[in-house]
Amino acid sequence: MIAQLILTILLGGILLYAWTEYRRAPVIGVLAMLAALAGLYFVWIPDHASRLAALVGIGRGVDLILYLWVAISLIVVLNLHLKLRAQMEVITVLAREIAIANARSAASPK
Amino acid sequence: MRRRHIWVVIAAYNEVGVIARVVVEVRRCGYMVLLIDDGSTDATAATAEKAGAVVIRHPVNLGQGAALQTGIEYALREGADVIVTFDADGQHRVADIDVLIDAMAKHNVDFVFGSRVLGGAINLPPTRRLLLKAATWFTRITSGLSVTDTHNGLRAMTQRGAGAIRLRQNRMAHASEFLNQVSASRLKYIEVPVTIEYSAYSLAKGQKLGNSLSILVDLSAQSLHR
Repeated sequence: MIAQLILTILLGGILLYAWTEYRRAPVIGVLAMLAALAGLYFVWIPDHASRLAALVGIGRGVDLILYLWVAISLIVVLNLHLKLRAQMEVITVLAREIAIANARSAASPK
Repeated sequence: MRRRHIWVVIAAYNEVGVIARVVVEVRRCGYMVLLIDDGSTDATAATAEKAGAVVIRHPVNLGQGAALQTGIEYALREGADVIVTFDADGQHRVADIDVLIDAMAKHNVDFVFGSRVLGGAINLPPTRRLLLKAATWFTRITSGLSVTDTHNGLRAMTQRGAGAIRLRQNRMAHASEFLNQVSASRLKYIEVPVTIEYSAYSLAKGQKLGNSLSILVDLSAQSLHR
């Protein structure tokens, strides 16, 4: 029960994270949301996790939840990568404005 | 059209060995030369300025795509009627600029792309030829444009065409992004034959197989966020 509560809080956090990211990166938001919802479902109905795990050849239901957690981590890493790219775009705009501001106009005397 | 209203934008990074010749040759034809020094650590900027180019310096190295976008924005602010992008490594022929400009006027289009497939590619290694074919195939599918040479740095655009371009891909994926934006703009374009002459220098600086994988990653990543 304690483990279930802890996982629920963590997965709830992932759901919130997915919600906040949805507007900026819809694909990431939806993927993280689906993974978190699936995680919550299996945490609270472990029998289904065990059945599904056996069906796809994973072994134990707990392993399936673990794999889901790994998938969520990968999605978060991908999202961090996208955030870094977005920051790079901002830096590029700033660097461009600095470069243009420092340029001497071709029409102005040197 | 007066040639001083035609701006030739050259993105350069550590090209001190060749840049003076390139700038002098283009200036000799009467065009404005705008060199974007992309954070070079050598004397590229000073050499180009001495050779007659207007020089803008990025404070840090950002990539060719970022440099070209800087050049396009600056040339537009300076009132350029036509903007031509031209590689810094000396592989393009200056005479081909005229070919692009003439085609633009004759066919009344906003974009003219140079094509080494329609023209010629001297000293192009077979592996590079295959790579370019694959890139062309990929970009034709993603952009929907029927072009024969998608990664040719020699292209011309009108003021209106340049206004439709906003490159966000800082590095080599900008060539595909450029065509995607041309496609989205629905403005007219045409390809003309040009000749590219590869030297040991330009081949060493050119794209490798690893770059093409980076381009795929960059384009995929861009489609995942706004």
